[in-house]
Amino acid sequence: MKRDAFSGCHPAVNFLFFVGAIGFGATIQHPAYCAAGFVCAAIYYLLLKGRGGLKMLGSVTVLFTLMSLINPLLNKSGKHVLFTWFGRPYTLEALYYGMALGAIMAVMLLWFGCYSIVLTSDKFTALFGKVIPALSLLLVMVLRMIPAFTRKAKQILLARRAIGKGPSQTNRLTEKAKDGTTVLSALTDWALEGSIITADSMRSRGYGTGKRTNFQIYTLTRRDIFLLILILLLEIAVLLLGGTNASFTPRLKIDPIGFGLPVYCGFLLLPTLLQIKEVIAWRISRSRI
Amino acid sequence: MRKSTFLSILVILVLIPLTLFLGTQVKGRWYYLISTMIIIELMLPFFFRFEARRPQARELVILTVMAALAAVSRVVFAFSPYLKTITGIIMITGIAFGPEAGFLTGAVAAFASNFFFSQGPWTPWQMFAYGFGGFLAGMIFHRRRNWAKPYILAPFGFFSILFVIGPLLDSCTVFTMLSKFTVKNVLAVYAAGIGYNATHGIGAALTLFFVSGPLLRKLDRLQSKYGILEL
Repeated sequence: MKRDAFSGCHPAVNFLFFVGAIGFGATIQHPAYCAAGFVCAAIYYLLLKGRGGLKMLGSVTVLFTLMSLINPLLNKSGKHVLFTWFGRPYTLEALYYGMALGAIMAVMLLWFGCYSIVLTSDKFTALFGKVIPALSLLLVMVLRMIPAFTRKAKQILLARRAIGKGPSQTNRLTEKAKDGTTVLSALTDWALEGSIITADSMRSRGYGTGKRTNFQIYTLTRRDIFLLILILLLEIAVLLLGGTNASFTPRLKIDPIGFGLPVYCGFLLLPTLLQIKEVIAWRISRSRI
Repeated sequence: MRKSTFLSILVILVLIPLTLFLGTQVKGRWYYLISTMIIIELMLPFFFRFEARRPQARELVILTVMAALAAVSRVVFAFSPYLKTITGIIMITGIAFGPEAGFLTGAVAAFASNFFFSQGPWTPWQMFAYGFGGFLAGMIFHRRRNWAKPYILAPFGFFSILFVIGPLLDSCTVFTMLSKFTVKNVLAVYAAGIGYNATHGIGAALTLFFVSGPLLRKLDRLQSKYGILEL
């Protein structure tokens, strides 16, 4: 997988950014901020995923539409009645509110999508390995075992098929369930036996005798420190500048757009800008050759 | 007082009220953020205790294996896509090794399996809900092993998901979806989840009915043979 510039930064930079992006995305219901959040998140998501990201963008848009349309059915306060629906008013304000909620949901889903790509499990454990050593080791091992167990489960299923006990070879549901139990039992046996060996091997290699160190390939460079400070300042600026208030029902009350919005956009576009800078720098240095 | 106990008390008595207070100060949509923060804070005492105990290699590996098994068990029952087995396996872990182990297995299994799908706003809620499933099963059955019969466990699994774990998972939807919190609206969201929770519950009940016997036997054997997880 090609890594973008922001993914190459220190995990702390990534984490701090996503805390801000998701935190603001989840709480601010000002329409302009929601729209800005949606656009910025979508741009970065597409940058990460390429053409494959369009599908997610499509489903998020569907969700947005659904949530917007459903909200007035649950919330009937508001002044401008568009029409009545089974005797209940369907109001414009509630529709706007629904749009804001839908946008919040869409923004969160997109940022979480980016988070999943950028903050991979090794980065997570590199970041939190010092704070929660036992739990992060647990997590790393589970992440390794899931693919291994899946592989083994498929092997067992295949072997069962060879003796005519595959799940597709019988129509009776109870038989299927019993066969499934047998497979799970076999898998458990294999896994537990392996676990004892793993544990003994860990002990004989000195687990628990000293402080555990973590797999760390990330060093805090000067650029990372600069970015950390920048992200922190931008987050504080968004908090202090305010102008993010908006309430919809019973009547619309939305703050005028102030300086907060460009700061917010600048903050959210940071990963994208970083990538653009990288691409330009690469072009320039290549054209110099 | 042990350090982890102190930290846990600190979380419950200071951090959670502080979060709630901050929630009322936040302008904008604070429901999801604050509720999720509280869910995460509720998990902290379990994590503190686990870290403070400095788990032995065997204990650590067994928990790992059970969490991974819970996440993978789906593959085995792939013939029916609606069958959710993860909760059942987590409950069995709780029964065999106690509430704390059940909680950790559930939380880690949910978190880890989301690395393979996608992390989302639901992650902390899933971690807590699945963890709580393991915790609940451990609380009730760990010390009363003669109760842990398939025909008791299956209804237990079904009803605990229908009434506790399912609604916990749906609470995430409540806090993200609703614009107005009236009893009727909240109930509507929970009611919309009943069908899904029922299939989830049936999956867990079937898992508990068919798998709990053999699996508990194996885990007991492991414990008596190697003496692990004597908490």
